[in-house]
Amino acid sequence: MNTSTESVSNTSSARLKSAAGEYLTFVLGDEEYGLEILKVQEIRGYDSVTQIANTPDFIKGVVNLRGKIVPIVDLRIKFHLGKVVYDEFTVVIILNLGGRVVGIVVDGVSDVMALKEDQIRDVPSLVTSIDTKYIVGLATVEQQMLILVDIEQLMSSQEMALLDVAVH
Amino acid sequence: MTVDMSQFYEVFFDEAEELLAEAERLLLGIDIANPDMEELNAIFRAAHSIKGGAATFGFMDMTEITHVLENLLDKIRKNEMAITAEHVDAFLAAKDVLKMEVDGHRLATEVDQDQVADVKAKLKLLSEAGGVAITAAPVVAAASTPAPVAESAPAGQEKVAQEATPPASPLASEDGLSHFNIVLPEITDKDVTNLQEELSLLGEVSSSKNENGRYVFKLATDSSQADIVSICSFILDPDDLVITLGASSPTTATQPVFEQVTPEANETAVMAEADETKEESKPSTNSKVVIHEEVGYGLFAVEGKENEEEGYGFFAPFKPHPDSVKTTLIGDDTVVTEANSGKASEEAKVAATTAIPTENPDKKNLGRRESDKNPASAETTSIRVGIEKVDQLINLVGELVITQAMIEQRISALDPVQNEPLINSVGQLTRNTRDLQESVMSIRMMPMDFVFSRFPRMVRDLAGKLGKKVDFVTVGATTELDKGLIERIVDPLTHLVRNSVDHGVEMPEKRKAAGKSETGVLTLSAAHKGGSIVIEVTDDGAGLNREKLLAKAKANGLTVSENMTDTEVFSLIFAPGFSTAEVVTDVSGRGVGMDVVKRNISAMGGVVEIHSALGYGTTISISLPLTLAILDGMSVSLGSSIYVIPLNIIVETLQPRAEDIKTVTGEGHMVHVRGEYLPIIALHRLFNHPTEITDPTQGVLVLLESDGKKSALFVDRLVGQQQVVIKSLETNYRKIAGVSGATIMGDGCVALILDVPALVQMSQTSNYLTGAMPFSHHGAQSIPNQAV
Repeated sequence: MNTSTESVSNTSSARLKSAAGEYLTFVLGDEEYGLEILKVQEIRGYDSVTQIANTPDFIKGVVNLRGKIVPIVDLRIKFHLGKVVYDEFTVVIILNLGGRVVGIVVDGVSDVMALKEDQIRDVPSLVTSIDTKYIVGLATVEQQMLILVDIEQLMSSQEMALLDVAVH
Repeated sequence: MTVDMSQFYEVFFDEAEELLAEAERLLLGIDIANPDMEELNAIFRAAHSIKGGAATFGFMDMTEITHVLENLLDKIRKNEMAITAEHVDAFLAAKDVLKMEVDGHRLATEVDQDQVADVKAKLKLLSEAGGVAITAAPVVAAASTPAPVAESAPAGQEKVAQEATPPASPLASEDGLSHFNIVLPEITDKDVTNLQEELSLLGEVSSSKNENGRYVFKLATDSSQADIVSICSFILDPDDLVITLGASSPTTATQPVFEQVTPEANETAVMAEADETKEESKPSTNSKVVIHEEVGYGLFAVEGKENEEEGYGFFAPFKPHPDSVKTTLIGDDTVVTEANSGKASEEAKVAATTAIPTENPDKKNLGRRESDKNPASAETTSIRVGIEKVDQLINLVGELVITQAMIEQRISALDPVQNEPLINSVGQLTRNTRDLQESVMSIRMMPMDFVFSRFPRMVRDLAGKLGKKVDFVTVGATTELDKGLIERIVDPLTHLVRNSVDHGVEMPEKRKAAGKSETGVLTLSAAHKGGSIVIEVTDDGAGLNREKLLAKAKANGLTVSENMTDTEVFSLIFAPGFSTAEVVTDVSGRGVGMDVVKRNISAMGGVVEIHSALGYGTTISISLPLTLAILDGMSVSLGSSIYVIPLNIIVETLQPRAEDIKTVTGEGHMVHVRGEYLPIIALHRLFNHPTEITDPTQGVLVLLESDGKKSALFVDRLVGQQQVVIKSLETNYRKIAGVSGATIMGDGCVALILDVPALVQMSQTSNYLTGAMPFSHHGAQSIPNQAV
């Protein structure tokens, strides 16, 4: 199984080629996003989170995930999408990125889709709050545009401030 | 036969290191004037096992060294040569070289070939120069029979049998050896050479060719035919082998007897009274005793049944004590090692302090023997397990404890009358969980002996180098400590011990002038005190000179005053670059070290204290938490969050009165406690954490002491004191300033553990000002001048 984690600096065709696979789609505001299913460890509800001092507001804090201390990032706050409410419908996707476990808060999880190479289009250069280098490609499914994110690159990016290297 | 041997390398390396450490321990304990045969045998066996293993794995360099070592040891063991201090030094040097070679193979570190050659040459020289027979004739007669001692209990296991059966020297071939003729099938010359080498481990081999052009080995050995077959089967098919028993073997008949009896002997050895270990250091002077002991092993001396019974009769008077082994292990034993650079004249004195006088020479022997057997039996009852498996187990039990706490919390909400059975069961579960946690935590615990055992050698060498006389005493070597801490305490302790030998203990003449015994005493002790372990390095040397320290501190530009307490003055030696040694030696005196010691120990959550009296000596005591995984903490609340403060740095907690809160320039807040002005660190401001309580008089001040400085942490309220399991934040997240880790509370929530030294630093370095705004009454305060 190919992964989309290979270097983003690859040529776009190579990137699209390796992007084929199964995706978990989730909703942020009105937009639909997809991330590689193999990065997902589990999906759970939003629990009480322990706040951490002096961190950006999109880092909600840490939770106890069966004895592991796992940071929770609210992507809605990070990308200014959707209404930031926490209720029984709030969903946290727990990702396992190369052994590091991170939770992301999204508006909802919709589906798992198998995407073929020819369904994925390249991203035009745009100015968005997600740097286009973290977007693998765009796919159209039933008239809906699906934004495929390279979640591992995104979560380990400096702006997420999740890793130690980011603060040095 | 192609088996990938490399998969067994680790096992060999581990074993070799253990054997080397054991050999070193025995060497250091050896009494030159009156060497204990058992100890010499044990050293020999260690060397022999390493040789066997090294040969199997093809580490020829190690085989060569051990071979010469073995030759020399063998001569001493057989009383062909008297052991001297020079021998012991040579053996220790050989041990170092072997260790270097093990490391060389294992970690690909550099092996100093010159040193190897030196040691080899020295050993050879010593072994050739020998031949100084000991005059005590009866001893020689009895000892010249190689003694397969009780260790060979699991008879039939080829390796163990090898260990117990030393190669016979020409001298020994007269008595008690079987002579085998081994006719080999047609094999290559190379295999013949290999086989000959292997067999030479059993005894003396000579090879020749018979009329059919086959090789014939003549082997003089005390091993059984089965052993020979099992060795040969490495190289060829045993069915093709023709082994015949040669002439002149008066004692082969006794061999089966030996094999039958040994398991029993081994068993009884373990069960002997624990008290007897105390006898260990008492040199046996009674020649009758020696003879008796040797006869005991002289199985092959054809003296009939009576003697044989006597041989194993050692242990008969002792009833098996199932608890006795345990007692030996957990008892607060005191081990005295002579590290005197001169002659062992102090021996008797030292021995007298530890030995219980006894009239019964049999008992005396017993004690010694028993102490030798213990390591062997401990080995067979332990298993090697990867540390990550243990850590996983500890983690899982940690989870269990948290889950159990959750259940307990839920249960407390239920009606106790209706749910009585459930509540009882949960109570049972609680107890079981506690027990389980305790036992699991104890897996990681290792005796301090693991650390202590490396010091006798170091002290001996150092004292020799510096021309000092030092007795090294360890107390409480069985005290257990977490493995993680054990590994990290080694370096600081090494520094402290070096310092004590170098700076603490004076030169013999100086000591004499001061009316002290020429030999200094360096004590290393470990003991449990409350929830922590206290390790002390004590010397009876010169002590710390307060005036000198102060003068030196002034010269170094440190701010000092005459009014400082002794503790404060002594703590100056922990300042970086501080050394009062007049001469910088290659041992110490450069002023690096003590600050590192302090830093390392603080990093482990420990505290260092110095007590010293000029002219009487110095004690440096280190107190450490028992384990790194569990922390005694005070949980405090701030807004909706709970934080945990390590209990060992909390001095006291108080709710200040309004008049005790002072400010400087209307901003920097302080609290006046018993004549001291302490800075207030408001946690809610430092962490930008919303809370309702912003006035210290409404909340709680937790007085903390870190790095010798006190400060007051302002939090909302105290929640409770509890033990928490430390979890790393960095596993999935990153390091957070002011937070050393996290833990999971009884309700499943995460609480952060505060890193107090970092908090103090944060409050000082950031341009954050303590409660510049919300304290309701600060306008009314005058600025206390004396605090500025």
